[in-house]
Amino acid sequence: MLPAFTSLGNAWLLALLVPLVAFYFLKLKRPRMAIPSLVLWRQVLNDQRVNSPFQRFKRNILLLLQILVLVLLALAAMQPFLRREASRAHRMPVLIDVSASMASLDHPRGATRLDEVKRQLRERIDALLPDQELSLVAFGKTARRLTPFTNNHRELREALDALTVEDVPSDVEEALRLAQALGRTEPFDKVLLLSDGNLPTQANFELPFQIDFQKIAPGGSNFGITAFSARRAPGGHWQVFVQLAGSANAESTTGALELRQGDKVLAHEDVSLTRGSNPRLAFDLAGGPGAVLEARLRLNDFDSLAADDAAWLTLPASRPLAIFVPESLAAYRHALEAIPDVNVFPQSDAATPAVFDLLITDKEEDLQQPARVRCAIGIIPPDVRSLVTVETKNSQAIDWRHDSPLLQHVNLRDVVFMEQPVSAAGTSEDALAKLGYDILVQGEHGPLMIEKRDGEGLRVSLLFHTDRSTLPYRVGFPIWISNLVQAALHESGLAEAEAAHTGVLSTEGFVANASCTITGPGNYRRTVQADAQGRLTGVPAPRAGEYTITTSGASPQPVGASLLSASETSLAAVDQLQFNDQLTVAASTAPAKSDRTLWWVIAFAAFVALLVEWWWFQRPVRAV
Amino acid sequence: MTAPAPQLTTLLTNRDLDRLARLRLKVSRRFTNRGRGEHLGVKGGTSTEFCDYRDYAPGDDVRFVDWNIFARIQRPYLKQFHQEEELHVAVLIDASRSMLFEEKFELAQRLAAALGVLGLRGGEKLSAYAMGTAGPSPRLRPTRGRSAQGKFFSFLENIEGGGETPVERGIEGFLRQHSGRGVAVVISDFLSEGDIRRAFNLLHNAGLEILAVQILAPSELEPEIAGDLRFVDSETASHLDISGAGDLLALYHEYRLAHEAQLTSLCQQRSGKFLSVSSAEPLERVVFDIMRRRGWIV
Repeated sequence: MLPAFTSLGNAWLLALLVPLVAFYFLKLKRPRMAIPSLVLWRQVLNDQRVNSPFQRFKRNILLLLQILVLVLLALAAMQPFLRREASRAHRMPVLIDVSASMASLDHPRGATRLDEVKRQLRERIDALLPDQELSLVAFGKTARRLTPFTNNHRELREALDALTVEDVPSDVEEALRLAQALGRTEPFDKVLLLSDGNLPTQANFELPFQIDFQKIAPGGSNFGITAFSARRAPGGHWQVFVQLAGSANAESTTGALELRQGDKVLAHEDVSLTRGSNPRLAFDLAGGPGAVLEARLRLNDFDSLAADDAAWLTLPASRPLAIFVPESLAAYRHALEAIPDVNVFPQSDAATPAVFDLLITDKEEDLQQPARVRCAIGIIPPDVRSLVTVETKNSQAIDWRHDSPLLQHVNLRDVVFMEQPVSAAGTSEDALAKLGYDILVQGEHGPLMIEKRDGEGLRVSLLFHTDRSTLPYRVGFPIWISNLVQAALHESGLAEAEAAHTGVLSTEGFVANASCTITGPGNYRRTVQADAQGRLTGVPAPRAGEYTITTSGASPQPVGASLLSASETSLAAVDQLQFNDQLTVAASTAPAKSDRTLWWVIAFAAFVALLVEWWWFQRPVRAV
Repeated sequence: MTAPAPQLTTLLTNRDLDRLARLRLKVSRRFTNRGRGEHLGVKGGTSTEFCDYRDYAPGDDVRFVDWNIFARIQRPYLKQFHQEEELHVAVLIDASRSMLFEEKFELAQRLAAALGVLGLRGGEKLSAYAMGTAGPSPRLRPTRGRSAQGKFFSFLENIEGGGETPVERGIEGFLRQHSGRGVAVVISDFLSEGDIRRAFNLLHNAGLEILAVQILAPSELEPEIAGDLRFVDSETASHLDISGAGDLLALYHEYRLAHEAQLTSLCQQRSGKFLSVSSAEPLERVVFDIMRRRGWIV
């Protein structure tokens, strides 16, 4: 393989050979020694052995060494390199996977996948030629550019050294889109993707460039928590569920799962884990004030990934559901009496809550009260009035959404509605959809029940009055009321809780525009401002762990962020990525071969030649 | 206590002279003059030293008949005696610049003095000739007898070296002035690019047995050099650039020994002898040890 040169222009240095040779012969000064006769020495010099090529070489070895030094220096200045790849990229983004699986170890006290990527990338940076530029892009759930296209080895190395793993799932599409954006200003032909292969097989992306997908060997045996949730149980209890899973190469092991609240161990269960098993553990906890639970898996053997061994779940405080139903809707109030843990308002002896969890009314003025779920009975929403009119005419339900949570187990067949909503003439079927409404029940000539997500709340509108229908007399009515209560529980966050994922923290309940200081694992500290609704949005949470949000005048609020990614825990590695247009990119497990620079080898050879020449020149000459 | 006797010459000590008085040059006896001398010839002669018997032939001098034998066996036998012939010892000393290195010339002078004394003490005719001197080549005309020792020593002591004439041309110059058969003792380093074979042929044809002594300096026998050097010829001032001289020493020794072997062969082919000595060798060892063991002197 012949070397190529990046600075061929420096070949002019070879022209220095001319003055070098000239000066050598001009300056060559041999020690003069008088001897009795040259007879014998002339015969010696005329000998064929003396005039052999090797002896001729030795005769002018100093000059030859000087020529060698100069030629080597000129070659080094010409920046030679050995081409190690078929095509050589002058500008190339490097997409570095920093998702959670990149923190997995290959063996106890071994190196992480990211360390391995760094090692390979450092070699590539060191071998970077003057006309080559790299741009480092790190991606997990999101992608961010670490450096612009640069040849600055120090800048690249510093950015690489500062890179850490994020406890988030990987999304290669984000990185590819960022690379595509980079290519608009600084075109390139090829992208280097460094990952452990724990990526989605399918990527919804049209490749405008080539991808060199270098796959690092996956980590070792791993088990972790992939789901952590709680569901409200009767009696104010919580059913807490913890899902465990392992990697494809996981060795059977044993351990224990602890459920803690602060320093207090709430539950402890020994687990025996085998390859392919996905045990789901359930715990029953008494309700009470809100708390942050920590589930921690402790294994007796090697576990390659630590980020998925713990998860945090915020349980809301248990309380009765606040439901507003005017006394005129006696059927509703009667149905609600059979449902436990609900407070029906208005009550003469109880204070009205700031926000109702469920508001059921047939009066438009009641709808102005704050509520998470509103159910308007016989009231046509103002934005729908141009599309639907109600005629006094019997009608029936033609169809309804059986899969809607509100209509689960509700049978509307044979229910008679004495009001018939009628769609306005010329109204297209998707006119309501354009306004954000879903039709839950379709009547003969128009919708009977519609729902719309209004901000963070849910608005259900019955376009008929239940008092003018046979619905309150059907079995489905209390079921429907129960479904409404369940929907209110969900919207209020009282029915179930699920552990928050890493990536972005999202909490609420702060003073509007309050300054909040967030501290978390790995010396995480950030100060953000709550929005007008008292919510914190867009706060990055790259590491799994417990974060603490502190505001002035309030007690610190703990909140957890957990990995909870079955794909990351599995450490599964894809062998190829499938892109749009049936384009596939196969992964290469062999380390990427970068062009090997030779200048330092040649410079070292020049130095050695210089030392030899110096030694040859300085060696003691014994005269006659 | 008596004062030590004064030195006759700076070239030889009195002790060496005494030791030399008991020695003679050993030559092949082929090249002798017809004049009577003290050197015994190969042919029968009239000396007092018995040589052999032979049958009497008519015409023989009856004075040499051994009458005692005749009385016993009644047959005449003629008693023969050695012919004591005169030997011309010519000492040729090279005084060129190459001989001025490292006491080569000093040893040559002393060696010439010793061999010359051997000739004079042996009753031979002695002449001397200096080659390669700065000026005209000085010459000691043929002389004999102990009384010529002083003149001979003086001749040697007054030779001014430093000339450029090569040895072969010096020999030719000597032969133009020389007459008589005998021995030519040539003392030189024989480092000449000329045709030494021709010079030896001329000596041989002139009836001179060649006794060649090559004197080389220690630095010529075992040079200790290395690196890149410019050698300057002491006689011609021409120079020769040598690179990696240390690596050429083995080759140098090959050529030096080959040159020595060639000189030995040239001398032996002409019934002569050749000896190569170092200028660092003491005269006593050269004369009383090496030359005696090699059969140069007896």
